[in-house]
Amino acid sequence: MSFNHLKYTDLEEYLNMAELSPEELEVAKLIIDTLNLEDLTPEEIDPHAPLFRDGLGLDSIDALELSLGIKQQYGIQLKADDANIANIFSSIAKLSQYIQANR
Amino acid sequence: MSVSWKKQRERGSTGALRLILWIALNLGRRSTRLLLYPITLYFLLTTSTQRKASRQFLALALDRKPHLGDVARHFHTFAATILDRVFLLEEDKDAFDVNYHHPELVVEMAKQGRGCILLGSHLGSFEILRSMAKLEHQIPVKILMYPKQNERITQAFATLNPAMANTVIPLGRTDTLIRVSEEISQGALVGMLGDRTEEQDKLTHCTFFGQQTSFSQGPMLLASVLKAPVILFYGLYRGGNRYDIYFELLAEQVTVDRKQRARDIQQWTQRYAARLEHYARMAPYNWFNFYDFWNEDDTVS
Repeated sequence: MSFNHLKYTDLEEYLNMAELSPEELEVAKLIIDTLNLEDLTPEEIDPHAPLFRDGLGLDSIDALELSLGIKQQYGIQLKADDANIANIFSSIAKLSQYIQANR
Repeated sequence: MSVSWKKQRERGSTGALRLILWIALNLGRRSTRLLLYPITLYFLLTTSTQRKASRQFLALALDRKPHLGDVARHFHTFAATILDRVFLLEEDKDAFDVNYHHPELVVEMAKQGRGCILLGSHLGSFEILRSMAKLEHQIPVKILMYPKQNERITQAFATLNPAMANTVIPLGRTDTLIRVSEEISQGALVGMLGDRTEEQDKLTHCTFFGQQTSFSQGPMLLASVLKAPVILFYGLYRGGNRYDIYFELLAEQVTVDRKQRARDIQQWTQRYAARLEHYARMAPYNWFNFYDFWNEDDTVS
């Protein structure tokens, strides 16, 4: 299933089920692999929980490693000048949406 | 290491700061330096925490019991380097007599357009390096800094030289290090100070002056992720208008075994701490961390 086939309201409902879509699952795996979070399984991550600080507790180093991982896996270069960067990194759902839109 | 430096209020009123700036800009360096004596005396009389910290550090670095004159000299050195920032930001480079040690390390990096990490500390002056790199060698140096730290004085200096203020990369944001990565890949030399910690930092234990304290893993983690060379620097104030700037290659590449990352980062950070101790012994009065550096009020995770 891909987001592209869903209308916006459907998408919102779908994400609210707090289950990982295949794309989100892929992003969750990337995060776990890139950041060596072996004690987590992708299914344990709430796609809407914040990645940084209070959520998964990632920091600026993690953001850098993640951006390098995303570049390697998807060929997408995240730019610090991107005004949305905090938003893109705010949750797995948001990050996955961004990757799908830019890959 | 403690984060107690953060609890310290920035000293000196905005009015006094403006007055000193005005005097400096109008009367010049030689006359304004006379003000350093009353300023030193004022801080000597009014700051007990900093005085205690100074004694604690000097006892280790001088290997004897420091007397009040040592503490006064310590404060005076600090005040002198802060005042010199005014003249450096005014780009009056001829006012200074700078002795470079291994400048070829950074000159070569810049020539080849290779980005690198310039890792310093609160030992001596960062401004002497940043200004001289720009004025003498046209080398672009960026600096990682917390925007909120010493806000008043930073603001005052920013108005002196807005272009220089623009070379700051603000720390504490999610995208901070992504920016650093971009700068380094474009060939910038990015300066950072590795001897203070923040609440959110990942810490590691190191031996420093024979005692355990914790340092941030940040600089070495960053260097290992970016695979960027790390050059240590120290801008030591030697009295009068003399400075010694030392460069030293810590690593072409900070290699880390992913399975033993914590151990490897500790070892790299320990090397940094050992070199910092070496230079701090050479110039004890240049130690500008006026708080209990060994107080473990953080837990190392």
